[in-house]
Amino acid sequence: MSLKKQDEMDHNAWLKKQDLTAVETVFLTTLIWLDKRLRIVDYLELLETMYYRANLQMPKSHTEQYDLDNKFWYWYPLYSLGSLSIIAYLVAAITGALLGFYYSPSTAGAAAQGDPTAAYDSLVLIMTDVQFGFMLRSIHKWAAQFMTAAVFLHMLRVYFTGSYKEPREVNWVLGVVLIALTLFFGFSGYVLPWKQLSFWAAQIGVEMALATPIIGEWAAQLVFGGFTLGQATLVRMYILHVFVLPFVVTGLIALHVGIVWVQGIAEPH
Amino acid sequence: MTDGGTDGEARTDGGPPATVPPDDETPTWSERKERSQGLAQLTYQYFERSRREDEDLRAESTYVERDVLGFPAWPHETLRNLAITSFFIGIIVLVAAVLPVHFGSPANPGSTPSVILPDWYLYWSFGLLKLNPINPGLEVLGGNILLGNEFLGIIAHGIIFAAITLVPFLNKGSARRPVEQPFWSAVGVTGVVLSFTLAALAIQNFFPIGLDLLFTLTFLLPALGGIITYAVLKTMREGYMYDLNRRYYMLRPPK
Ligand code: HEM
Repeated sequence: MSLKKQDEMDHNAWLKKQDLTAVETVFLTTLIWLDKRLRIVDYLELLETMYYRANLQMPKSHTEQYDLDNKFWYWYPLYSLGSLSIIAYLVAAITGALLGFYYSPSTAGAAAQGDPTAAYDSLVLIMTDVQFGFMLRSIHKWAAQFMTAAVFLHMLRVYFTGSYKEPREVNWVLGVVLIALTLFFGFSGYVLPWKQLSFWAAQIGVEMALATPIIGEWAAQLVFGGFTLGQATLVRMYILHVFVLPFVVTGLIALHVGIVWVQGIAEPH
Repeated sequence: MTDGGTDGEARTDGGPPATVPPDDETPTWSERKERSQGLAQLTYQYFERSRREDEDLRAESTYVERDVLGFPAWPHETLRNLAITSFFIGIIVLVAAVLPVHFGSPANPGSTPSVILPDWYLYWSFGLLKLNPINPGLEVLGGNILLGNEFLGIIAHGIIFAAITLVPFLNKGSARRPVEQPFWSAVGVTGVVLSFTLAALAIQNFFPIGLDLLFTLTFLLPALGGIITYAVLKTMREGYMYDLNRRYYMLRPPK
């Protein structure tokens, strides 16, 4: 009898007995290390159970029922439009984070009406001085355009394939919220450079808000920071664009795709 | 002293351990159900029903159970999409390189530019703000409009979003392909064409045709598009459905 700890819980001894490759050893060692501290095995089991539950309860699909899977459904490429929205969104998020290092949301610096402001100047800086700045801004802008286009087309795909029908109504309604937020995302970004078109697009936004009875003035103050455009407007658009909307939209996309995961993709009949 | 302490004195060590029911004292499903009232009770009842329904359906089913019965998001859908999306990112970068973005002059609150436009994806929304010709006038007000023109635009936005939201609750049934539902496809085409004509209305300055004509076309073209779609699909439907039905019936003849 040795005095060494020797029970079936001696994972290291068990590891040594095994004939493992380097990858397997590293994986198992990490897993054991984490598990001893966090008991992740319990959670893994839970996750696995959830995974099987979610997938097992899927109803039989029409394609399977009628053995149609050998029939090529020529709309299938359009089924990737949802993923394209996500990818374009990610590209915009990454380039946007990089642009954020140089952008300053400020209307200061204009001596007279129509002079460049700090915000405008920071974009000029990005486009002329920063390495790859022009490219970065182009990619950000184009990724946003692609995302919006993909979301529109995705909605049309869902509409014309009748994929919104029971049990997917909730996802459709969620989608309507998402498309509205996507458009607002684009709008708030359009204002940030504080160029002529930005300013006057925002002006129309304020006028629309003010034209609404009862909640109009409140909405104008909440979203645009007042009835005339200025520093407050720019900062609000900035915070909406880089803080509020990213969290909200990312969360809603996760929910949207989570529901697709549980329900499966609707197949054409 | 809620934690099972027996002495009435205040204690600083948290008192004796709280009573945790041992496993065999945990209430069972039916006990919990009996104890519950009102909404909770109803929830229990419904859950039992739906579970029973599920089991019945499974028992009746002649299908071979498989692990995954839908078209799974993972890995099928995801993998296929990854190939397409990597191509897509390439396109974004390429387009960004060959078509660098435009940059205008700085904001000037003092001079309104002759053309005010948002990005293209909001043209339709901008077009909705130019609906003043159909703003209803009221005779009693001497032909004055009841709603501000801008408010009319806002209402139009509300109507459009509400209509889109309601689609799944209005169009029920199992039809999926456009040919199977000519009416709803026609509605869809009407909507798509309308979004384009509204965009054209928004950038009206660039159209060489008269404003009245443009305005008429804004509503005429979508209707036309819808009617044509309906006619075409309705015609296609007969032959198409015949094929599809024959396929179904060969596999599962009606009882
Ligand atoms: C930020 C915008 C959006 C993102 C990132 C997104 C993402 C996705 C993804 C990845 C899917 C899986 C199937 C596919 O790729 O086609 C999906 C499905 C779906 N989406 Fe979206 N979506 C967005 C907006 C919308 C909009 C605007 C609508 C409609 C109003 C919508 C309604 C639906 C529905 C009903 C499904 C289920 C379709 C099926 O099962 O075939 N989504 N979405």
